[in-house]
Amino acid sequence: MGRAIVITSGKGGVGKTTTTANLGAALAQLGHSVVLIDADIGLRNLDVVMGLENRIVYHVVDAIQGKCPVSKALIKDRRIENLWLLPASQTDDKDSVTPDDMRTLVFELKMQYDFVLIDCPAGIEQGFKNAIAGADEAVVVATPEVSSIRDADRVVGLLAQADVPARLVVNRISPNLVKRGDMLSQNDVIEILALDLLGAIPLDDQVIATTNKGVPLVLEGKSLAAKEFVRIAKALAGLEVEDREPVGFFTRIGRALGLSATPA
Amino acid sequence: MWNNIKSLFAGKSSREVAKGRLHLVLAHDRTGLEGGRLQEMRAEIAAVICKYVQIDADAVEIQIETRSRATQLTVSSTVQPRNA
Repeated sequence: MGRAIVITSGKGGVGKTTTTANLGAALAQLGHSVVLIDADIGLRNLDVVMGLENRIVYHVVDAIQGKCPVSKALIKDRRIENLWLLPASQTDDKDSVTPDDMRTLVFELKMQYDFVLIDCPAGIEQGFKNAIAGADEAVVVATPEVSSIRDADRVVGLLAQADVPARLVVNRISPNLVKRGDMLSQNDVIEILALDLLGAIPLDDQVIATTNKGVPLVLEGKSLAAKEFVRIAKALAGLEVEDREPVGFFTRIGRALGLSATPA
Repeated sequence: MWNNIKSLFAGKSSREVAKGRLHLVLAHDRTGLEGGRLQEMRAEIAAVICKYVQIDADAVEIQIETRSRATQLTVSSTVQPRNA
């Protein structure tokens, strides 16, 4: 039996869809079978972020309403083994699906795949309730800004009420701003939201460039953000994760010469 | 180092300000207490305290803050010595 993980945030535009696409691609690269569900019915986006928008025939609402078998609505990613997308409908609205529908659908997919990642819409209304209905656990994405953290806190409360355990991904951290005292650090966000940290993604220009092209970052590059997404995927899969501290050039030379302590 | 010296003169960094504001805002969000209701509660609590000890009812302070996922309500007031 696989695991269903909802990626949620409350606030829009903080990186839920990018996180879903990259964690899905990274988990598939690690050899797991993965289905991504775009639960943002009426405002679908995961398909364009994944670069699969031209291959949609059926969507999640078709599958739920029995217009096609679920397997027919799944789009297989040709770049990676083991990765599928179940796109949202662009013409229906959030009320065309119920939490029970989602529970049934997610359960069916969990029987066949290792991971079902659900990309949650912004907000805390019907779309959110649908998205978390079938989830075993949640990844809460927050950027280090007051508005994002405030909304994330609401979502954390609602997830707790629904008995969905949650872990945190802090997105778009700028180490320079943190150093200058002009940005909340990842530890600040952890402290305020009182969640366990899965990972912290640095602000990275490559995210925009790869999204323009419709290629998940982890398939393209060795950028810092890509590496962190891979780290998070390993943590989700329960694999041993290596030291996250960025190691500078001089530290590495020092280590090679036996001058400085090895990392704890 | 230079940043530390600068912050000595500039007061709180925007990061610290953000943290302080969030602790307060989240306390109100989590309890569902809007500002007006909080002041109503303050006045009622002050009235109750007045029944037992002498205080300046207008000087009673009420504050809600969060640490971790726990929310703390603090009511504070100085108590005046009883009239001999």
